Amino acid sequence: MSKNYRILDLIRRNRTPLENHLIDGLVDGRVSRRDFVRHGSLLGLSLPLLGRIGMAAGFGSMPSLARAQGAPGATIRVGSSVPAAAIDPVTIADAGGLLVMQQVAEFLCIDGPDLVLKPALAESWSPNTDGSVWTFKLRKGVKFHSGGEMKAEDVVASIDRLADPANSSNALSVFTGILSKGASKKVDDYTVEFHLDAPNGNFPYMLSSDNYNAVIIPASYKGDYEKSFDGTGPFKIEKYTPKVGASFVRNDDYWGEKALPERTEFTFFTDIQPQILALQGGQIDIINQMPVLAGVALLNDPNVDILSLKSSAHQQLHLRCDDGPMKDARVRRAIALSIDRDKLVAGLMKGRAAPGNDSPFAAVYPSTDASVPQRKQDIAQAKQLMEAAGVGKGFKMTLTTERYLEIPEYAQLIQNWVKEIGIELDLNILDQSAYYGDAVFGKSNWLDSVMGITDYGHRGVPNVYLAAPLKSEGTWNAAHFKNKDYDQLATSYIAALDLEAQKATAGKIQKLLLEETPVIFGYFYDYLTATAKGVAGVQPTAMSQLFLEKASKA
Amino acid sequence: MSATDTTTQERPIGRRGPYAELFFALMRSGTFLTGFAIVLFWVICALFGEHFTPYDPLADDIINALSPPSAEHWFGTDQIGRDVFSRVIVGSRDILTVAPLATLLATVAGTALGLFTGYFRGIADDIVSRVLEAFMAIPVVIVALLAIVALGTSKATVIVVIGLSFAPIIARTVRSAVLAERELDYVAAAQLRHESAFHTMFVEILPNVIPPILVETTVRLGYAIFAVATLSFMGFGIQPPSPDWGLSISNNYGMIGGGFWWTVLFDALAIASLVIGVNLVTDGIQGALND
Repeated sequence: MSKNYRILDLIRRNRTPLENHLIDGLVDGRVSRRDFVRHGSLLGLSLPLLGRIGMAAGFGSMPSLARAQGAPGATIRVGSSVPAAAIDPVTIADAGGLLVMQQVAEFLCIDGPDLVLKPALAESWSPNTDGSVWTFKLRKGVKFHSGGEMKAEDVVASIDRLADPANSSNALSVFTGILSKGASKKVDDYTVEFHLDAPNGNFPYMLSSDNYNAVIIPASYKGDYEKSFDGTGPFKIEKYTPKVGASFVRNDDYWGEKALPERTEFTFFTDIQPQILALQGGQIDIINQMPVLAGVALLNDPNVDILSLKSSAHQQLHLRCDDGPMKDARVRRAIALSIDRDKLVAGLMKGRAAPGNDSPFAAVYPSTDASVPQRKQDIAQAKQLMEAAGVGKGFKMTLTTERYLEIPEYAQLIQNWVKEIGIELDLNILDQSAYYGDAVFGKSNWLDSVMGITDYGHRGVPNVYLAAPLKSEGTWNAAHFKNKDYDQLATSYIAALDLEAQKATAGKIQKLLLEETPVIFGYFYDYLTATAKGVAGVQPTAMSQLFLEKASKA
Repeated sequence: MSATDTTTQERPIGRRGPYAELFFALMRSGTFLTGFAIVLFWVICALFGEHFTPYDPLADDIINALSPPSAEHWFGTDQIGRDVFSRVIVGSRDILTVAPLATLLATVAGTALGLFTGYFRGIADDIVSRVLEAFMAIPVVIVALLAIVALGTSKATVIVVIGLSFAPIIARTVRSAVLAERELDYVAAAQLRHESAFHTMFVEILPNVIPPILVETTVRLGYAIFAVATLSFMGFGIQPPSPDWGLSISNNYGMIGGGFWWTVLFDALAIASLVIGVNLVTDGIQGALND
């Protein structure tokens, strides 16, 4: 299709230089349509505007995301894991709890399955020129279930509460070094500014569903969330029984389109197998999160639909860089070269994963430099590297890891593969509490082991993966990797507002990490949700959230 | 020594000793021989299994994971494509190392405690017996979990935990037998000779309470097999990639719902057969002793 420069020029007149640079990238072919939509949404461009720009740039109309509306009035029954602790927006950190909270409370914006940010309680957002101040415009007429209208002071209080170190907030892992207490400021009743500690090109993701603690609740909240479950969401709490389940009813005062289901019911399960049996037996309609190995029976079940989301979730295999034979980067590269990623994806993950290239840059990220060559199994080269490093005869060490998802099987495959290059690996597979310990150096099998495998959940942007496990002072740096060049590149990537600048830095980081290999990223696994045949309109996210307002049953 | 005494204590020409009698009685016991054959089969598998398995029990073939039983893989393959038949054959090794050693520890500790409490009686008996009863009131699995959390996961920990958990049960059996024995004349004679308590307990009394100890030990061995399998199932003690039966069941039981029954069934049958074998041996010994 031809480009309509007249319309493009009209659109460009009211846009910032940063937005126009992105538009130029699309027009010149430097930025793909998919990356343009993702990054445009991050900069606060609305989806209709992104669609108009795409059409003017000759890409045709955007594919419609609208689905045929199902029948209203259903009761949707969900199986999920048991909330591990009291549900509180400040402290919640587990999939079962955040799923319940997300049914009633909402975010400023939603990170969709395509990693495109969509407005929710915020209608729009924009950065200043260097990305150090972000301004969010709030939606008007949004009511809490308790009756009051959501305004700027509620947003400021909700986010400030999470950024306050005194609250032991779980969101501090996201906000530390980025947003401090008192840096969220009310401009007027419907405008909030966030003054960041340092420029950050991906900040809206940190106020989106990607940061599952960042729900907006009344400024008057004093704790004990399970008593009120107050929020602005399309469903209101009906009943919550700890360790057993929860039910919700449609919120008829919802600001947006009213939810299709009349009710939703959540049943908590301690294990995945009873959930599978409950789905097959018709006791539940949805399994929110289904691990591929445990749920392999459902993958080909004709009575079950599998919703598969590409994600950045992965298992990090860390290699200690400060001690023993793995101090030599050649040994770390040799270990990485012994791993057969194609078999991991096709065999272990049944095709529900994408191969990793030993950096956090998963294929789902628009900033990932796809031109960096994919690392593949090469035993001959691995043996050469071992010889060159003076450990050609091999050595013995222990791989310590957690009993979670497919990790024990992954560990056994690694054990067999590294045997081919002379490394004799003992396995020490622990339950999760023993593995993580106190999660601080010196008191954690995870952070102190010479080699370990750790599960990392999905993130809409790679910032957390780039900082905590890889930066010299990273709090989760189990590899004990200290590299000044890397630190500078990571800081530069996180600050970059422009997609092309992010891509250029990402490429450098990818190459540096391939050379150094402090962590092996073998694969990025898909987030799977199983639904009974006839259930439609279910929208999961790879962060364990489940949006049910458009769900229906045949 | 009187003539009557001589006739009771000296073995008449042509008569076998008590252990030889026991041996020949066992050889005539179909129950014992059946159980012994089963146990012997698994012992041979533990010692030499890898020489006659069709595949390396640790070798993965991830692309052919979860294949059902076939001519190629008689018992199918597991989650990373390992041959289940080969793993079941070799999987007896850990359980047949840990369970007998734990039982041996229980027998040694329990016998010593039983001799002590039964011989001395009185306040020492009361205190030790109450402590042992309190210990026995706690389920083995709970004791095991606490110990493993405190001491760390290893085969040695499992041996010690199961051994010490079973010791009070054996101690109680031995104590009962010793209480009867200590009233007999030969004990009084030893005491008149001013033999030490240690000598009287371990040299005079112990040989006469061997039969109940033997029976209790074989009974405990059966329970120890179950205990080891249970702890492996719970993820304690034996680590992957060991083909240990309990561990294999633990790793694969989640697959049953999906129809992948072969990943669990054969390991479960193996545990059952070994326990049945040990129980048959126990019954055989008990029958032979009663005869």
